[in-house]
Amino acid sequence: MKTKKLNMQKILAPAALVILYVFFSITGRNFFGMDGLRQILQSCYYIGYMAFGVTFVIITGGIDLSLGSLMLCSALVGCCAYSAWGWPLWLALILILVIGGLFGLFNGFMVAKLKLPPFIATLGTQMITLGFGSIISKVRTMYFPSVGSVDEWFRSVFYIHGQFPTGVLWLLGAFAVGWFLLNKTRFGRYVFAIGSNEEAARLSGVKVDRYKIAVYVVCGLFVAMAGIFYGAAYTTVLPGKGNGEEVNGIAAVVIGGTSMAGGSGSIFGTLIGVLIMATLKKGLASVGLQAHWQTFFTGFVVIGAVLLDIVRNNAALKSAKKQVQ
Amino acid sequence: MKRKLAMAALALVSVLGAIPVMAAEDPLYISVISKGEQHAFWQAVRTGCEAAAEDYGVDMFYYGPPSESDIALQVEALNTEIQKAPDAIALAALSTESVMAQIQECLDGGIPIIGFDSGVPNAPEGAIYATASTDNQNAAALAAEKMMEEESFVELVKNAAADAPVVIGVLSQDATGESNVNRTTGFVNKMVELVSEYQEVSVTGHELWLAEKEGAPVVINVEIPATPEVTDITNAANALLNTKGISAIFCSNEGTVSGLLAATSSGADLEDGAAYGDLVVAGFDAGAPQKNAVRNGWFIGSVTQDPYRIGYLSIELAVKAANGEEVEDVDTGAQWYTAENIDDPDIAMLVYD
Repeated sequence: MKTKKLNMQKILAPAALVILYVFFSITGRNFFGMDGLRQILQSCYYIGYMAFGVTFVIITGGIDLSLGSLMLCSALVGCCAYSAWGWPLWLALILILVIGGLFGLFNGFMVAKLKLPPFIATLGTQMITLGFGSIISKVRTMYFPSVGSVDEWFRSVFYIHGQFPTGVLWLLGAFAVGWFLLNKTRFGRYVFAIGSNEEAARLSGVKVDRYKIAVYVVCGLFVAMAGIFYGAAYTTVLPGKGNGEEVNGIAAVVIGGTSMAGGSGSIFGTLIGVLIMATLKKGLASVGLQAHWQTFFTGFVVIGAVLLDIVRNNAALKSAKKQVQ
Repeated sequence: MKRKLAMAALALVSVLGAIPVMAAEDPLYISVISKGEQHAFWQAVRTGCEAAAEDYGVDMFYYGPPSESDIALQVEALNTEIQKAPDAIALAALSTESVMAQIQECLDGGIPIIGFDSGVPNAPEGAIYATASTDNQNAAALAAEKMMEEESFVELVKNAAADAPVVIGVLSQDATGESNVNRTTGFVNKMVELVSEYQEVSVTGHELWLAEKEGAPVVINVEIPATPEVTDITNAANALLNTKGISAIFCSNEGTVSGLLAATSSGADLEDGAAYGDLVVAGFDAGAPQKNAVRNGWFIGSVTQDPYRIGYLSIELAVKAANGEEVEDVDTGAQWYTAENIDDPDIAMLVYD
């Protein structure tokens, strides 16, 4: 009986995704079909990468509010190296990853070593990255190569090649890497261990600080990748932007059933969460509702998902108590 | 129970599925992707679009991002709209670079794009069928015409002499921005044309408009501030005000109006009987301080773009393009507002605070 209940909850998010997709396929204008599907997937590349990255952080019981601004900060600086300093594009892309990794390290250091609450530490990083990007770029708007320019391959590799959405492969690749890291490695086991009970993990010999820092670095790298996909999709990167994007990443994780209390969650759930948000976004537009409606409805979905989490926890607690008695 | 549920679901699906079928004879579907919705300017554009959509019986979708820096949202909206295979798209791009691929897609797929307001500068050849925007030269010429309808000013021009020339000042924010240059050119050219009926005219000041004539009794002086900062504009305005024989000033945008007002005790010096009470001043665009100056009669009036017509005509062009008719760029015109008509509903809609 108990396992059946658990399965029910696991399929709830995917079921919601299917229902949404079917609903908009019937009611939306040109929503159903390969092109529509491609559009849904294309709109979730950068959010997907952000969400995969922050999934690790949230499972350890932390949070990263610097996702959005770090994403655009690393993209902006990399693009500045490419278009203003004349770096070759491949080197600029590496720079983007380095910046993401370094700020991740910074976040991890503050949380693990200086014992700052993650909320405050990453809030600080959010502002630092906003300013940092503007300082380096001298508050200039930067442009990634678009169609018809010299480095056209950038868009082909990371976004779309002809009619083929290459970004989907990257998204699935990120999913595979994330899934493997979380479920098949010692790192993943310790992430869960730290999230369920940090003290217990420490007492059983886990080098908690080191793993916590690693978690934020992994998140930073995923976020930097998100920056690359943002550049491929939207070309123009403005300085001083990106704060506010983190809510998309965090919302996807929460919708996917990862508990904000830490200790439980899955990469698969996050993928479903990202797809639900993208389907809502494209679906609501296909029936003629504007972007702010999408934000409006996503808010309710997030609250619903958290409520579900609470109900689930209470039920688990009750059954645990029963067993003890 | 399961069966009942399935039946209900089936019924729901069939009802929902029937909706598009019932809407026989699909009207044209036109997507409007604008730069925003928050400013009164864009609200007027939208009102114009909606009126045209109604008149032409087309299905219109209007999108405006929350702010003019939300490029990603605009790109997403454009993607979504292209996906819906619209009959035409009206577009005011925030960044042409960001929508290059989408424009190419429309070009390949034969979806006509109509530019509006600032349009889609540097778009690939053939993608933009036509643009509905303000012709800034014509708009600024309107200010020159209205100045020359002031009888006292015309008298002054008629009686001007080489040893006591009448000076007409032009305050332009810069000599690089396309709209500012066009407005200054439009005003200067029209003024030269109108004044030449009575007197010889010399144009001095910035080199771009230089046409000096020795001993001309009327002088048009184009003043460009050192930087577009309001302090520098104020200095430039002071320089004009201190020019001997200054009789009229045209400010080519909201920024230069602010500079002039700062140089005249927030405009109080332009009040009848005050230091510059006789000065004939005309402005451009709107904004609360400028509206106040017009309402108080400190300005004889100001020119405003016509966002309502920008919206209306962009839909009109889109409909024509969708029907395969030839279209070409249109000037959406400008309106002249004064203390008398500023509160008329038609004008009030165009002049933002």
